[in-house]
Amino acid sequence: MKHTFRQVFRSGKFLVGFVIFMAIVLTVLIYPLFIKYPPLDVVSRGTFLPPGIYVNVYDSMSSSLRYTLLLDDAASRRIASKLSHEDRLAMQEWLVAMGVPEDEIDIEDTVKLLELWKNNFDPTARFPGMTNADRNYYIRLNTSLDGLLATEGATVAALNQETGVLEEKGIINQTDYVNVGEVPNVRVLPLGTDNFGRDVLTELVKATGVSLSIGLVAGVVATSIGLLLGLISGYMGGLVDDLIVFINNLFTVIPSFVLLILISFSIGQEQRGAFTIAVVIGLTSWVWTARAVRAQVISLRNRDHVNLSKLSGHSVAHILTTDILPYIASYVIMALILQISSGILIEAGLSILGLGPRTTDVPTLGLMMNWGMIYQAHIMGKWWAYFPVIVIIALISFSMNLMNTGLDQVFNPALRD
Amino acid sequence: MTIAQQDNARVLMFETPYLYNMLDGQVYPLLAEGPYAWNDSRTELSFSINPAAHWSDDTPLTAEDVAYTWEAHVKYNTPTAAANVDYIEDIVASDDYTVVIQAKLNDAGAAINPLLVQAYVSTNYVIQKAWIQILEERVGGDATALLADPAEDVIASGPYMKYFADDSKVVLIRDDNYWGQDASMWGKLPVPKYLAHVIYKDNAAGTTALQAGEVDVSQQFNANVQNLWLEDGLPISTYLPDAPYGIGASLPTAFFNLTGSSYGLDNLAVRKAIAIAVDYPTIIANAMTNQSATFDQVPRSLMNPTDGEQALYDHDAVADLQWAGNDIETANAILDEAGIVDSDGDGWRELDGQKLTYIATCPNGWSDWQAAIEVVAAAGKEIGIDITTNYPEWSVYQTVVTKSDAPLPEGYDIFMMWSDGAGPTQPWSRIRKLMSSEFNGMTSNWNGNWGGYANPDADAIIAAIPQETDEAKLKEMYTELVQMYLTDIPSFTLMYRPQSFHTVNESVWTNFPYDGDGTNPPVPPLDMMDGWGVAGLYNLELVNP
Repeated sequence: MKHTFRQVFRSGKFLVGFVIFMAIVLTVLIYPLFIKYPPLDVVSRGTFLPPGIYVNVYDSMSSSLRYTLLLDDAASRRIASKLSHEDRLAMQEWLVAMGVPEDEIDIEDTVKLLELWKNNFDPTARFPGMTNADRNYYIRLNTSLDGLLATEGATVAALNQETGVLEEKGIINQTDYVNVGEVPNVRVLPLGTDNFGRDVLTELVKATGVSLSIGLVAGVVATSIGLLLGLISGYMGGLVDDLIVFINNLFTVIPSFVLLILISFSIGQEQRGAFTIAVVIGLTSWVWTARAVRAQVISLRNRDHVNLSKLSGHSVAHILTTDILPYIASYVIMALILQISSGILIEAGLSILGLGPRTTDVPTLGLMMNWGMIYQAHIMGKWWAYFPVIVIIALISFSMNLMNTGLDQVFNPALRD
Repeated sequence: MTIAQQDNARVLMFETPYLYNMLDGQVYPLLAEGPYAWNDSRTELSFSINPAAHWSDDTPLTAEDVAYTWEAHVKYNTPTAAANVDYIEDIVASDDYTVVIQAKLNDAGAAINPLLVQAYVSTNYVIQKAWIQILEERVGGDATALLADPAEDVIASGPYMKYFADDSKVVLIRDDNYWGQDASMWGKLPVPKYLAHVIYKDNAAGTTALQAGEVDVSQQFNANVQNLWLEDGLPISTYLPDAPYGIGASLPTAFFNLTGSSYGLDNLAVRKAIAIAVDYPTIIANAMTNQSATFDQVPRSLMNPTDGEQALYDHDAVADLQWAGNDIETANAILDEAGIVDSDGDGWRELDGQKLTYIATCPNGWSDWQAAIEVVAAAGKEIGIDITTNYPEWSVYQTVVTKSDAPLPEGYDIFMMWSDGAGPTQPWSRIRKLMSSEFNGMTSNWNGNWGGYANPDADAIIAAIPQETDEAKLKEMYTELVQMYLTDIPSFTLMYRPQSFHTVNESVWTNFPYDGDGTNPPVPPLDMMDGWGVAGLYNLELVNP
């Protein structure tokens, strides 16, 4: 046994797969210990907030710890954030359309450009070929340019509840900075939020855990059924074998995914917990395991040590577990790994069709993809709502297949170096 | 293409005597000339037909066509007849150009429902008498065959005629002989030569087409529509430049199943707890991506957010009944007080020993509704009521929900449907369809009150409103109805929704209606085919002529 393990871990492929897989499992186990946010909590009003660090504006404004930093490029960066090169070109287009000679406009000279703009801009003016979208854009641009070149700070005022009068609370200078570490309310959203406004990373970790357990349950169920039927049918032969092969053939010709859809649909959303879905997936994907195990058992059945066992009067169960199972154990482990990985993929497939587990209980990778698609994350370029999910699914399948190939190399005499 | 959309008839091929404008609540003459008028006893409504109006075969359109259209509706018991026959006695042509609609009278000699008589003129098409007779001959007077006839040879009066149709696309072509060029109507032809109505698989496909410029006017829900111009810089705009981007007109509503097949929903405490626990701000911000007014801005009632309807009820009188949602504490207190507690420790409350478990549902693929229903279901967890979601296909959903002659089957405990938007009979018609028990027992109920609510007091007020002309009295009645609705909670509004979304891509065409575009009367932000929205077709301009 020890020797076998050592051999397995010498296989580079297995090792890489194992490391990736363990990294995912450990993340799923450790992340919730440190970050205790409920995974299905709605944190944002508004959908698909981009990844980043969210600093509370109110707290930073009223923070007593303000620092003055004199950064040379602060002003130009501030201007650039509101006035891009495209904006400057658009302003030029407007000014030309309004009859300002083109040679008077220098779009790189911000001061002059803004002056021209201020003197000429009229929100009601239309020029030929100007659309309502353009009009809205110019109005937005005009609003954001307001006070762009101001050097004085902004005054903060609060409403006095008793008198209803605005009272000055202080001035925020353009050189004022706060240290993010000292602001009481900062939320890091490494992968932003999804269409419900949930923290994608926290949801993803939980969903990975759920999907892994779905895969594990489905894999164990499928492998157990396949193993049991394969052993019995291969060893017993005769009528029992015929019967099991008949059932097996039946299940082989019915596409298992169609069967799965029908079962999922007939269970109804009411009963569709993650565990139920896992069992259903397991119940529909044992066919190939049973076939392969049966074939292996048939070749083992007439070996000398098995016949010896029979002569010694051991029971069928005893022979199967001690004389036959060890010979096919490596294959079964490999089958289990593949079943787990396909279980995860099948759940994702089901959920994308809207036939996955009930949506309000737990997140799963498939459900996250499903909602990302419904809310058009893939069309609107909100990559964080679906791409990490795809990456995780791919990594799980990839790592499991690597482990499988590694094991194959160790156990399959035909492939041994 | 020729479906009457709520109260805005689609007037591209067939035309109505009047066009309704949801922005100012007025009707404007189309086939008619001048305003319609009631006689002194309000039993007959008459209007004149514009003498310039003619059919696509150049024969004049007369009052006789209007009268015969009604006669045919009644003869073949069409849905139009079924909806109006209880209120309209007859429609007659008193001369070539004068139409008189005679209202059905009650025992006191007054019109049963003057509102619906009035609405008839802006929601029902005039069809040519000569052509109806050809059709009747063809089908031998068989009503089913008449309604199923593809009418390839139809004569119409509108600016567009059929050019091509299959199950993915309907194309109409402009009729350059259209009578509306007459100075008494539009004075010119509508600008586009063709109108193509493309049928997309789902919202995602529709959005992609809009982004690509394959769609000029999109009337579907596009999530985060502002990103199309803010982030992608596309020449796309909406009626209002900022949230809510459109004019709210209808109230998408979650109905409770009160037909007896959902255990515990007959209990007011359960309904109320669910309704006040739902997080409406999240529905509006996330499911609707802010394309709806919030319940802080427009407190819940039976009225849509337009100023005209909001003024129709006494806000102070119902203020303590209105809830803003997300009030888990009160919801739990209500349930505890009603003795609906978790007695077996499984985390879910029981009523008389039976666990409360419900399925909340809406059609599959209607993304804003689906996300809203998810938020409704999430509220269940907070108050110990097990609510899960389910999304049947629309074809299944509609058959189940509109069958009001038997208790609803399993899986439709809380289900989402629409309400009326804006129209000449609003808000009365919307309230009727949300609360009136007259639809209970219908085999095919496309009206409303799908949950089977019945309240004789509400029915009485709903029946009385159309005859009431005193505004103060009307306000009192509406206020009373709002009170009943917010007390009994047979259903609850989840959001405000525009009559139809109006998002335009201005790659090719511009000058679509927008807020403050100076049109007078203002062109409403519909899909340029319904009611007064059709006026927008005459204002379009090419971006690059």
